[in-house]
Amino acid sequence: MAIFKVSYVVIGRAHPGTIANLDHRPEIGERVMLGDEEFIVVEVIDLMPPRGDFHFIHATCRPLAEEDKQKIT
Amino acid sequence: MDLKQLLRGVMLFAGLTDEELEQVAAICTEKRLQRGEVLAQQGAPGDDLFIVTNGFLEISVAGEDNSSKVVVNLGQGQIIGEMALIDQGPRSATVRAISDNAVVQVIRRKDFEKLCEENTRIGYVVMKDIAADLSFKLRHRNLTVG
Repeated sequence: MAIFKVSYVVIGRAHPGTIANLDHRPEIGERVMLGDEEFIVVEVIDLMPPRGDFHFIHATCRPLAEEDKQKIT
Repeated sequence: MDLKQLLRGVMLFAGLTDEELEQVAAICTEKRLQRGEVLAQQGAPGDDLFIVTNGFLEISVAGEDNSSKVVVNLGQGQIIGEMALIDQGPRSATVRAISDNAVVQVIRRKDFEKLCEENTRIGYVVMKDIAADLSFKLRHRNLTVG
């Protein structure tokens, strides 16, 4: 069972970032809810080598733009 | 999902056997938080380790001018309070739920220390995992302030 420990860093506005576990590797273009807000992943890199089932990932996100929101509806 | 399965997804317990995970699960108690509820207050004594199993919690630190700065939000599978567990110092930050129905598992220090004394392999594995988790948090912090 692979577990992805992800460090989310938000660009484009002040945000402290989030650390959370996922059951899949985040992908560029994926939308992610961090608390009440939705962001879009723009970069994914391995932060540290995996250890056992755990993978350590850094994902850069940006707030959803108007065109992103329109794609939802 | 049962508690043992939840704990298996927490890096703090990576490397523990099924039996050892059951021993850890036996000293956990569940705590539910409403949005805005404070779990720990910076400067207060703290004896408990928390594991986020649902929702998000905000970690904030008071500055010299008493203003509060959020340094990170933590979601599922993350641990809170490991510094106080190790060094027995006061809470280094204030922890507040920022989502409805946030859930944490609570491990009391005395229960944790007793378990580690009874099974030193659990103590060795968990302490090594705490160090790795602190390292990950530092790397995250470096990326957010860089």
